[in-house]
Formats: sequence, C-alpha cells, structure tokens
Amino acid sequence: MTQVVLFNIFNGLIVGAFYALMALGLSLILNLSGVINFAHGGFLALGAYLAYTLIPYIGFWGALIVAPLLTAAIGLVVERVLIRPLYGGDPLYGLLLTFGLAYIFEDMTRFVWGAQSLPFQVPAWLTTSLSSQFFFVTGYRVFMVVIVVATVGGLFAVLNHTRLGMRIRAGTRDLDTVSTLGVNIRVLRSLNFGIGIYIAGLAGVLAAGLLGLSPTIGASLIMPSFVAIIVGGLGSLLGTLLGGLLIGIASGVTAVYLPSATEAVMYVMMGLVLLVRPRGLLGEEGRLH
Amino acid sequence: MPKSNARAGMDRRRLVKSGLVLAAAQLASPFVIRARAADAVRIGLDNPLTGTYAAPGKNELIGCQMALAGINAKGGILGRPVELVVEDSTSGDAGAAVQKARKLIESDKVDFLLGNVNSSLALAMAQVSNEKGVLHVVPGGHTDAITGASCHWNVFRVCNTTQMEANAVAGALVKEYGKKFYYITPDYSFGHTLETGMVKAIAALGGEKVGGDLVPLGSVDFSSYLIKAQAMNPDVIIFLVQGDDMLNALKQAVQFGLDKKVHLAGAQQEMEPLEGLPPEARIGTWVMEWYWNQPGVPHVAEFVEATKKRTGRVPTARTWFGYVSTWTCAHAAESAKSLKAVDMAKALQDFRLPPEIALGPNPVIYRAGQNQLIASLFVGDAQAKGAAPDDLFKVTKVVNGAEAAGPVGESGCKMTWPT
Repeated sequence: MTQVVLFNIFNGLIVGAFYALMALGLSLILNLSGVINFAHGGFLALGAYLAYTLIPYIGFWGALIVAPLLTAAIGLVVERVLIRPLYGGDPLYGLLLTFGLAYIFEDMTRFVWGAQSLPFQVPAWLTTSLSSQFFFVTGYRVFMVVIVVATVGGLFAVLNHTRLGMRIRAGTRDLDTVSTLGVNIRVLRSLNFGIGIYIAGLAGVLAAGLLGLSPTIGASLIMPSFVAIIVGGLGSLLGTLLGGLLIGIASGVTAVYLPSATEAVMYVMMGLVLLVRPRGLLGEEGRLH
Repeated sequence: MPKSNARAGMDRRRLVKSGLVLAAAQLASPFVIRARAADAVRIGLDNPLTGTYAAPGKNELIGCQMALAGINAKGGILGRPVELVVEDSTSGDAGAAVQKARKLIESDKVDFLLGNVNSSLALAMAQVSNEKGVLHVVPGGHTDAITGASCHWNVFRVCNTTQMEANAVAGALVKEYGKKFYYITPDYSFGHTLETGMVKAIAALGGEKVGGDLVPLGSVDFSSYLIKAQAMNPDVIIFLVQGDDMLNALKQAVQFGLDKKVHLAGAQQEMEPLEGLPPEARIGTWVMEWYWNQPGVPHVAEFVEATKKRTGRVPTARTWFGYVSTWTCAHAAESAKSLKAVDMAKALQDFRLPPEIALGPNPVIYRAGQNQLIASLFVGDAQAKGAAPDDLFKVTKVVNGAEAAGPVGESGCKMTWPT
C-alpha cells in the first residue's frame, strides 16, 4: 500500500506539472489584462487539432513547434478583435465573452474535424516505459515534464531578464503608470495574451499524446487550471505552478483511498483555500477588485 | 484621453437593450417558421450531439436518417411522410434531456420518442414518455433497469442490457485469461450494473474480483487507477469505461506497457473508441453489439455500402441502433395499423424484425413482457488492422442474445398496461 501511495505521489507530480503548464498561460493573461480566459481550453484543443492536421506533413516535432505558434497567432487575432474592446470594463464581460468563445471553439472543432476521437500518433520510442518498476514513468511523460520545466524556465527568463518581461511585470502591478511612462500597453497586452495562448497550444499538443483527441478535450482540462490558480494564488506565477503540482498529488493520493472523489478533491482544496486564505497560498491581496 | 481608460462602451442602456433582444429571441423561437407537412408523422430524437457522447450520438443520428430515407422511399408510415425532429440532449444533463423530451412531445407533437445514449438520461426521459403515453425506443442506453426494474409498457430498447453483455463475454475472459479480475468502472448507472453483471457472470465460472475502482465519468488521467490495479496483481484488468474514457484508459495502459504484464479486456466495446486509438493500443478481448464485417450474412454489405456512401466510414453498432430504432417505429405503426401508442406497443410484443433490418445471423425479436430486443452479440479481439482498412475487430464467436439473456422473470420487469 505504501508503494501505491508513493507511486501515486510521484505520478501526481507528473500530472500536476501538466496542469501547471495549462494554468500558467491562464495566469499570465489574468495577471496583466484582468481577463478571465474561459476559452483557454478551446485554444488548447485548437493547438492539439492543428498539430494533428500538420503531423502528416512536418512530423510530430515539426507540429510541436508550429502548432503552438499558429494557435498563438489565432489568439492574437481574437485578442485584437474581441477582447481589446473589453479592457477597463467589468471583468464579468471578459468572462462572458470567453465563456461563449469556449462553446464556439468546441463546436467549431466538432464541425471541422468531426465528433469522433482522432488517433494522434506520437513517435513510438517516446511512448514506452522507462523502467519496469516505475512503469508509469513513460518516455512521453518525462518529455512532458522536460517541456514544462523548459517553458517555465523560459517564461521566468523572459519575465526577469528582458525588457518585455519587465514591462509585463510592471504592468501587472500598475498598468496605468506603465502606460503613462510611454509604453504601448495595447501591444504589451497583445503580446502577453499571445504568450499565454502559445503555452495553451503547447499544452494541447502534449495533451493529445496522453489523451484521446476529441472536441471535449479543452473542456475537460480547463477546470483544473482555474483551481490551480485559485489554490496557488492570483497574481503569482510561482503560486500557479505550486497549485498545479498540489492538485496533481491530491488527485493521485485520493485515487488510492476514494477513487470516486478524485475530481471532487480539487474543488474541496479550492474551497478550503478560499475559506482559510482567500488570496491563495502565494497570492497577493486584492488582486481582482 | 487614452481610449483604453474609457468604459468599454457597455453602458446600462446597451445592456438593457441586449437583454430585451435575448428575451425576445427566446420567446420567438417556437414561432420560427419551418416548412412542415401538416400531416407528417414525426419522430423525435433526443440524443447527445455535444459532449462526451457526441460521437455515438452522431452515429445513431446517421442510422436514423438512413432509416428515414428508406421509410419515406417506401411511402412513409401509414401512407404519410415521416420527419425526424432532432434535439441535443447533451451528454450528461438530465434536466436538459427531459426538457427537450417535453418540448418534442408537447410542442412538436412527435408520435415517437427516441433516445438516449446516456443510460441515466434514458431513464429520465422514459418517465416523461410514460407519463405522456408516447412510444419510446431507446437505441443505445444499456443499463438493465430500462427493460428491468424501471420498465414501462411504452419503452422499448434496441441495445443489449449490461447483464447480457457480461454473460456473453465472461466465458471467453475466464477461459483465456484466468481467474483474478480488477475492474475500472465508470461511476454511474451503466457502470454499476455492468460491473455487477460481470462480477456475477465471472463468479459463476469460478473467477473472482480482486479489486476495482469507481472512476468519475469524463476522467482524463487513469494513471492512478492503473498503478493501483497493477499493484493488486490481477490476471486481467477489466475496462468498463466507455467512449473517450475508454480511449484514454487504454492509451495510457499501453503506454505504461501494462499490456505486457497483465491482460487488458472488458465488456462493451465500440468502433468509435477503437478508431480513435493509436494502432498499438487496439488490443483486448471485448464484446460488440453489432459489427459491420459479417461475411455471408445477407443485406449487411448493402447497409455498409450505403453508410460508406453517406459518411465515408463503415457503420458502427450505434449506426445500426439508430437504424433499427427508426424502422421499429415504422413497423410498429404498420403492424398495428394505427399511431396509438398502446396499439403499437402491443403489436411489438414478440415482433421479429425483417432480415434487411436485423442485419445479423440470428433472429432479432422484441421480447414480450420486457420490450427488450434480443439480437446477437459479437465476442472478439480488437486488432490494429485487419484485411480491410476499417476491420479493427476480429470476431471469434457470435452469441445468440437469447442465450445471453436470462429469463424475463429474472430481469425484474413487472410490466403494467394502461386500462
């Protein structure tokens, strides 16, 4: 039994890393623009489907690079046309818009690619277990963790060591002052949104290797991202990362003792955090007023 | 003044105006003009078109549409043209399914109700159809209760009961794989009854349940359950999850290399998840309720060709369910020479479907006193590919439904007819 629990904790870290990747893009967009992007799952699905379509032409690795870029491009268009008019207004409008967009994306993928699940092929050498005892550590999952670490590392590098990153961080604190200081905040918000959506598209390509590729793939992954952000704390990317990992582990351990509660446990965690420390574990107070 | 600081143009007046437009749209929708023949016979389909069960729901719809074309080509029902009114029940929202059922019956005045893929939604809809006295055919909802403890005189079911599926496949599993079984079961009515059926059928053959997990519907990651399953050292891990859940579970199990340590199998299997799996994950012993590749059985090839022409793919069991359900409505009316639900229901007792609809080697009959269709079950192994491109299942044994089904008395159905 101890071995099962330990294995599940180990596995939970891997699964949690994936949740964290999804949540990071969402958190990035929320922190700077104040937009609650319910369509994040839809962009994830779009990334997955675009990768599926591209694989016969440029292979898995090509699709891994190109699909998130395409998704980010679509994200930039959506931001410019649909979301920009809502900045400065009630965050509720952003939520309503992206909520509707989520449904539109789901039906659009169903319309274009069909309702049936599509067989998504990853290179065979990736999808084998690395060890007989730790059979749940497959090459693909390790690869996924590597991508997550690289993305998180890359994101933090951009945020801390580039001018763009500095402006995004400053904008998260006080967008008005940043604007007054001469930075074009429209471009800033667009780029920030684009980065967030790039990460969503990347998560989508990774997800398609793990799960069946169907139009509901986005909807099934969006809720853990929100919970990760709330548990980890609004306004803190490190918190989001921590939140994702915690959910992954909690889910895994719950599966050992009470499998029917594996989905409910993350909401219980969210409820506890909101009761005891509403700003989240590493969050800042008064993030969304 | 930077424009970005101004309120984003959504002021109170606009909000009120858009609210009024939305409200008007809701009220106006029943009056949207749809050219409908006033004397058409209407069949209402209340099935998932979105969500987890969108794929089987879509295939059932295709079957219905194909049947409709055939019925209308032969002059319709009782000389009147037939229409199909389609509503999205959603994949899991019983409230929506019931609301749509009521809309179909009260507002669209359908003569027949069809649905639902989701067993729980089918049960909820059966309450409505029984209350309103409308003939209701369930194409693909499997839980035993629909023609068992919760049976109604007006509700007929095409697909097998979960107990029948368990009885058909249990023998093959125990004989080939061993005695220790671990179950991964979806946590709702279908999963519960299928597991109960499997445990019972396997125990009768000397097998035992060494462990199991009830998994939330729509789970994406099965690694925790697979870790637990493997630790219990079973001979077989039985996957009772369906649709995308089945796909995710099998894909992950094969990635973990579990298929090399333990046998992977289950009860119900369908073409939809098999088509979505990478070839190396198309493994295991299962039972299918209808399969397209039946050499030597008359009329099947024509049905397959007709489906391929319409959709580009082979028909699945779901296509057949939809096809049979719709033709059942036509035959019920023609047999009873009336559209009165009680007369049609009586006419369907022990009704044998003609071969061009039965599309199987054994007789296909609606069993009297239970309203359950008794057809054939196809036990076999999933395969990466066969001789034909869509041949993903190798049938090893065709079980006559009459053998797999217990006696009517055991089903728990106590049918009462209106006076």
